Amino acid sequence: MKMEAPSLLVTGLRKQFARPAVDGLDLNVARGELYALLGPNGAGKTTTLRMVAGLLAPDAGRIAVNGVDLALDPAGAKRSMAYLPDDPMLYGKLKPTEYLEFVAGLWGVDAASAEPRARHLLDWLDLTKHAHELTEGFSRGMKQKLALAGALIHEPQLLILDEPLTGLDAGASRQVKDLLLSHVAGGGTVILTTHILEVAERLAQRIGIIQHGRLIAEGTLDELRAATAAETLEDMFLQLTGQA
Amino acid sequence: MNLRPGSALWLLHHELRMFWYTLMFSKESKAQRVFNWRMGSVFTVLWLLLHLGAWFVVQHIGKGGEAPQQLVILASAVLVATFLFMLSSALKSSVEVLFDRGDMDLLLSSPLPSRSIFTVRLGAVVAGVAAIYLFFLAPLAHAGALLGHPRWLALYPVLLGMAALAASAAMLLTLALVRWLGARRTRVVAQVLGALAGALLFILSQLPNLAMQGDGDRSAVLMRIMGSGAGIAADSAIWLPGRAALGDPLAAALLGLAALAAFAATVALTHRAFARGLQLAAGVSGLAGSAKRPPGAVRLRFEQNLTTAVIRKEWRLILRDPQLISQVLLQLLYLLPILFVVFRKGDAHTAAVGTGLTLLCGSLGSAMAWIVLLAEDAPDLLESSPANPRTVRQAKLAAAIGPVLALVCLPLLWLTWRAPVNGALAAFTVCGVTLGAALIVVWTGKPGQRGTFTRRAQRNGVGAIFEIGHLLGWGALAFLLPYTAAQAAPGIGLLAGVAAAASLAFGMPLLAWIFRRRSA
Repeated sequence: MKMEAPSLLVTGLRKQFARPAVDGLDLNVARGELYALLGPNGAGKTTTLRMVAGLLAPDAGRIAVNGVDLALDPAGAKRSMAYLPDDPMLYGKLKPTEYLEFVAGLWGVDAASAEPRARHLLDWLDLTKHAHELTEGFSRGMKQKLALAGALIHEPQLLILDEPLTGLDAGASRQVKDLLLSHVAGGGTVILTTHILEVAERLAQRIGIIQHGRLIAEGTLDELRAATAAETLEDMFLQLTGQA
Repeated sequence: MNLRPGSALWLLHHELRMFWYTLMFSKESKAQRVFNWRMGSVFTVLWLLLHLGAWFVVQHIGKGGEAPQQLVILASAVLVATFLFMLSSALKSSVEVLFDRGDMDLLLSSPLPSRSIFTVRLGAVVAGVAAIYLFFLAPLAHAGALLGHPRWLALYPVLLGMAALAASAAMLLTLALVRWLGARRTRVVAQVLGALAGALLFILSQLPNLAMQGDGDRSAVLMRIMGSGAGIAADSAIWLPGRAALGDPLAAALLGLAALAAFAATVALTHRAFARGLQLAAGVSGLAGSAKRPPGAVRLRFEQNLTTAVIRKEWRLILRDPQLISQVLLQLLYLLPILFVVFRKGDAHTAAVGTGLTLLCGSLGSAMAWIVLLAEDAPDLLESSPANPRTVRQAKLAAAIGPVLALVCLPLLWLTWRAPVNGALAAFTVCGVTLGAALIVVWTGKPGQRGTFTRRAQRNGVGAIFEIGHLLGWGALAFLLPYTAAQAAPGIGLLAGVAAAASLAFGMPLLAWIFRRRSA
């Protein structure tokens, strides 16, 4: 039963600050799917992802990660998930190897599986030659790649990324995109937010558009195209959010 | 005010406005703003009350006439002490001006002349250094002027002049350090020098003690020094600041002019060096740590549980931050005078050693707990992980307390060997104060970034009061318990003292728990 549960199931999610940030949001993201959550600034994307990652308590609603209720079993829900914010969660005075060791310790990954995976990730993301440098001297792209390696060290089923490509150069951006596609190809799930609509257009299997904390449109690119009669995702997005 | 945009006065106006907004209209919360306004009101009332006290003081001692030579020497000694403290503060402020960027990138990228920027920033250092002295001493000048003794107004040029001299010297020294040692090392070295300047006064104050090997009378030695003027002629220019402080108008004017000249010369000669220093300082955070191992030789150590992983991470972060280490360890410097007193004539006073160790551990425990528990660089990483928060918190507590106890382990063993009962009591107070200090920080401390370590108490007044009360309680206990244990029948006064100290030592953590931050 648990195997059939969606990667992420969100129902009736609400969060209010000075005004409602998330207002009755429902999401259902299947396993092995790359889902792009789009929306204008202040639409509630980051708030939604932070609630899913367990960093923010919702006012109402339910979140289940791979069938595990986040409110009832937070550790269980978090075990199969990784969250990567737009500002990488790193320690400037740690080296990449030490950072990966620490993250593996947090997720309780055993050494036998963590070590080869760490070597593989460092190699793949071109970080091996910087393995003995403190991360405080890294460029934005290197930091983002290391944070991604940290997110993947425990082989999460669900990977949640908030603006993962912001500030990356073409090479780093390609590496990150390849890694995300590879994660999905291996049966993992990716949920990402981005302002670069071409990325969502090229990578995402399904797209959700959120505005004022509510999901205003959802579907594959073809489904959205049919619903809006627009040709590009940019046109669809502007039309749906009333910015056209 | 219609000031020419880009001028030093225009920039000064902007800085003052920003200072006022930051002070009174902080974005933190409504409660914080209300607190700021209340504190502002309290200080205003206190300042007015100081005027009342100053009125009585000036009425009694404010009569004119030339000051006797002994008073001039005493005033000079007080000014030397004040200058050392001012230099200490000015060095700290100079480092902040260079390294805490704020809006510096915006200013430097604008066509504003570097001379204007430097003038205003150096002026801010002068104002910051002089502020506390003016707060307490300006009421004397005002009362003196109102009571017909205008010579008291000399306090203004004297204090501002000394602050300008200290700020100029500190800025020149900081810029010279940047040139000689590079920006990275300057930050640490300047802070150490600043603390040394402050501690130098304590060490100087112990010179008469060190000079006396027998049972000489300390006050007699001081009187002899004052009587002879330390061999310097009464009309020497050395005594000029002392005379200025006592209201000699010519001396005050000369001191003020000398300070103004030093300020102007510092600006004129080093404003370009200041701009260069800022550029170098800006590059510090972008420098990568050097690779000590050849590429390819990646060594990984994953065989650790959560507690080990957290402790190792915390210790690595601290050990690789020399600036933080220097800031923490500089607290130890101020305990040097205790050692001077305690080990004078080789006669170690075991109760005082226990007290010193207890105070040291309380202070260090509090600092370490704040760094490890509240200055977490990646709190979201910990919170988004499945790691048990209680295990993480306990591991962090162990990471904070462990080094403190390890540091005092040897002195405690020495103390126990010399005086077993006192050693055991000191071990009790050391453990108690370290744990209590850490818990108070956990319960009432405000999270912040490691860079704000030295300003952590400013943001958390209530917590700071708990910490000080707790430290004093344990310090008093560490001093009184050995005496109580040594008495066959301790007096009621001694027992009352122990009870009062114990209630502070145990009551403060209890109060901290009652008023704890709910997110803790």
